[in-house]
Amino acid sequence: MIRIYRALMLALAGFGLFAFMALAQSPDDARRAEAELISERTSVLPGETVFIALRMTMDPGWHIYWRNAGDAGLPPQLILKETASIADEALGEMMWPLPKLLPVVDGEIMDYGYDDEAVFALALTVPADAAGEVRIEAVADYLICEAVCIPETADVSLVLAVGEPAENVPAGDLIGAWIAKVPGPFEGEARIDDAAAPWTLSLSLAGGFPQGAGVRFFPFEHEISHPADQPQRVGPSGASLLLTPDRAGKVGEALEGIIRVDAPGAEPVGYVIRAERGEVFDGTADTAFVPVAGAGEVAGLSWQGLLSLAGFAFLGGLILNLMPCVLPVLSMKALGMVSAAAGGHAGELRAHGLWYTSGVLVSFGVLALVILAVRQATGFATLGFQLQHAPTVAVLVLIMFAVGLWLMGFFELGASITNTGSGLAGRGGAMGAFFTGVLAAVVGAPCVGPFLGAALGAVMSQPAPAVVAVFLAMGFGMALPFLVLSFVPVLHRLLPKPGKWMNTLKQFFAFPMFLTAAWLLSVLADLAGAGAVGWTLAGATAIGFAVWIGREAGLMRRGAAIAALIAAFALPAVQANVPAPRTGGEPSVPAYAEAAWSPAQVDALLAEGRPVFVDFTASWCASCQVNKLTTLDTKRVKAAFEAADVAFLVADFTQKDPVIADELKRRGRAGVPMYLWYPAGAREPEILPELLTQELVIGLVEGR
Amino acid sequence: MQITRRHLSLAAGMAAAVALTAGALIASTAQAAPATGTPAPAFSGVTSAGETISLADFAGRTVVMEWTNDGCPFVKKHYTAPPSNMQTLQKSAAADDVVWISVISSAEGEQGYADAARANELTASRGAAPAHVVLDAEGTIGRLYGAKTTPHMFIITPDGNLAYDGAIDSKSSAKVADIDTATNYVTAALADLEAGKPVATPVTKPYGCSVKYK
Repeated sequence: MIRIYRALMLALAGFGLFAFMALAQSPDDARRAEAELISERTSVLPGETVFIALRMTMDPGWHIYWRNAGDAGLPPQLILKETASIADEALGEMMWPLPKLLPVVDGEIMDYGYDDEAVFALALTVPADAAGEVRIEAVADYLICEAVCIPETADVSLVLAVGEPAENVPAGDLIGAWIAKVPGPFEGEARIDDAAAPWTLSLSLAGGFPQGAGVRFFPFEHEISHPADQPQRVGPSGASLLLTPDRAGKVGEALEGIIRVDAPGAEPVGYVIRAERGEVFDGTADTAFVPVAGAGEVAGLSWQGLLSLAGFAFLGGLILNLMPCVLPVLSMKALGMVSAAAGGHAGELRAHGLWYTSGVLVSFGVLALVILAVRQATGFATLGFQLQHAPTVAVLVLIMFAVGLWLMGFFELGASITNTGSGLAGRGGAMGAFFTGVLAAVVGAPCVGPFLGAALGAVMSQPAPAVVAVFLAMGFGMALPFLVLSFVPVLHRLLPKPGKWMNTLKQFFAFPMFLTAAWLLSVLADLAGAGAVGWTLAGATAIGFAVWIGREAGLMRRGAAIAALIAAFALPAVQANVPAPRTGGEPSVPAYAEAAWSPAQVDALLAEGRPVFVDFTASWCASCQVNKLTTLDTKRVKAAFEAADVAFLVADFTQKDPVIADELKRRGRAGVPMYLWYPAGAREPEILPELLTQELVIGLVEGR
Repeated sequence: MQITRRHLSLAAGMAAAVALTAGALIASTAQAAPATGTPAPAFSGVTSAGETISLADFAGRTVVMEWTNDGCPFVKKHYTAPPSNMQTLQKSAAADDVVWISVISSAEGEQGYADAARANELTASRGAAPAHVVLDAEGTIGRLYGAKTTPHMFIITPDGNLAYDGAIDSKSSAKVADIDTATNYVTAALADLEAGKPVATPVTKPYGCSVKYK
């Protein structure tokens, strides 16, 4: 009884901690969200256009809505008060970042919106006669829902000085980052075939969508059933979605909305589409396709959602048993069970299975807590983060290599540094079983990243208890085969008899280890370049040296072995921490030459008789991001640049640069964005407006 | 054996979770909602007065169905007195021999759930005048009709066809002040039916809180 009581108390304490964390995050006021107005500038010039934004920070579990809220809910509004010094016309439309799916009742009621944080940018055109200050006083009017909905209003205000422009870099960064999440124009073509239900939305895109990408359509209106699944088909020239019409749903002139593309290992991207009636494009509906992670990234998980996610995690854990980097550890464990079964100790085997399970669960629990801690510290984490951190990858390569050597029998494990892993795992009894479980989880973790990272990405934005639950489910899935084996005596009889083959098998499992190391090396090459790979191979050599010299006893030899081991791990880890030189850059994109700006470079290019476009930009400049999104980064504009052999130069003002500052001053600008266009043969540039359009730029390039 | 026992229960919990997931996936097959102009689905339900009523009981009379949840701000908007928008509609329906049925599909424990006593108390305290309040905590009738929000309004003709499905009015907001300037679709549809005309706007997009289904 006392034990159960203690377990209960532990569980309660854990729950209390989470509750406390949740409380600590709440804003002080009674509202469920904090609303504020932010601006990329602290002071502005009359007549210019800058970006401001409504920033909403929601309490955990609460959400607000997209421009189309779906089946229930209302989109947020920003309403200017009479006391504002600007008229309604001075503010542009609210820009809606890519929404998430908010399933209210699975398969029946679906909403679209945002949880946690959302930033809605708006263009502010400073009145030409503005003087002194621009005063924006407004009401943020929004419906915020958890299980229940509450309409809230918040008074928000922003005062910008009129005068010499000055940036607000953090706010500009934030606005720019959220503008980048606003769906941009779709580079392909969309058509809707509504001849019969379900309709087919066909999306043709040169080169198709990224491998493994899930696509979900979010309509601007209510032509389709929001909660219905959108079965996806793919082909070499794009994808198509089967849409269930709403009961009175009709396509007017066209079906308009956005598509959300969730590609494995990439941030989701949105595109605005307008699908006119027409037949399904060839090559967009060849084969049925089920994305690994559900497209639309479900937010604010319901219990059902959490359970199904935990179910998938459990299945993932089961599959994990088949992964090359887990199988060897499992084999070690299987060897232990063979001897226990031979001894006829059923009770011992059961205890073994339970200890193994607890070892796996504890490891996954710890991993979950570590990830939560990293998320807390950095604000963001994905499961693959282990594999995005070059030193971690380098060390994993070396561990895989060392384990491979051990499996091969090049060395036996004594009481050296490795005893926390295989040494303990190799011991009989409860401790041995427990640490085999731990080892299985630790060694299996690098496999989890590539195989389940996408599925787990979904849970990363979830509250801490959900993350822990999903990880535990996965751990349980991983441990289950052994647990079953240890509890069902019949299955024990299926276990092979001990014999010489066990050693052969053990040696064989070295090869999956080496292959895993090879794969990790390729990951490392992407992350940190060839230099880091070289250092890691040198580290592997040092491990080999340590094994060789440490074979015989003697203080000198032992010392040398330990020194070599330390060097083997430390040097690659340090060397890998240097970011990879991005030679080649993004391979697929720049069709036209993109180069860093300098006055000399401009002169040289002009001397060649080439037209030059200069983009004065900065990461914290929201307008710059808008122009990038809507104009400069689009296929049409790039194609026009390429056709006219335009040299595209970038002057990056993210870090203050005196040369760029001088140039801006010379052109009468106090800051970025600034766009200069030198037609072929021209000496002096044309200064373009701060807000670009594709038509404007293409018109200039084509000399129209 | 401490670990043994703890993990046995954990194992049982995990197994239950997996079973539940499978169950939920099987159960959540969407139902097709009825279309206007076709026969309204037959239903029967227990009212707050303890009677069992069914749609067939009202053959020959126009029926209005109102999905409601007293905790929902959008419902509150229409019950706020003044202007007592919903109560006025209910009273004028009663005067025209139109059967007004309020349906509460909130599951037990969810916002808006009411047993018979609470439902009657709500009717009294708000000065509401529905002919019946149907208690649908299981969500059967709500799902039969595809009710998505509170409020969500349906109108059924005397010959049993669905004539209107959608919002109460044209301004999706939770603000009482918007009632005045909105077009009330229910009033308009009832007027069309009264005049023997087809309903001009038979389908609109309902707005409000999601129905708190079980």
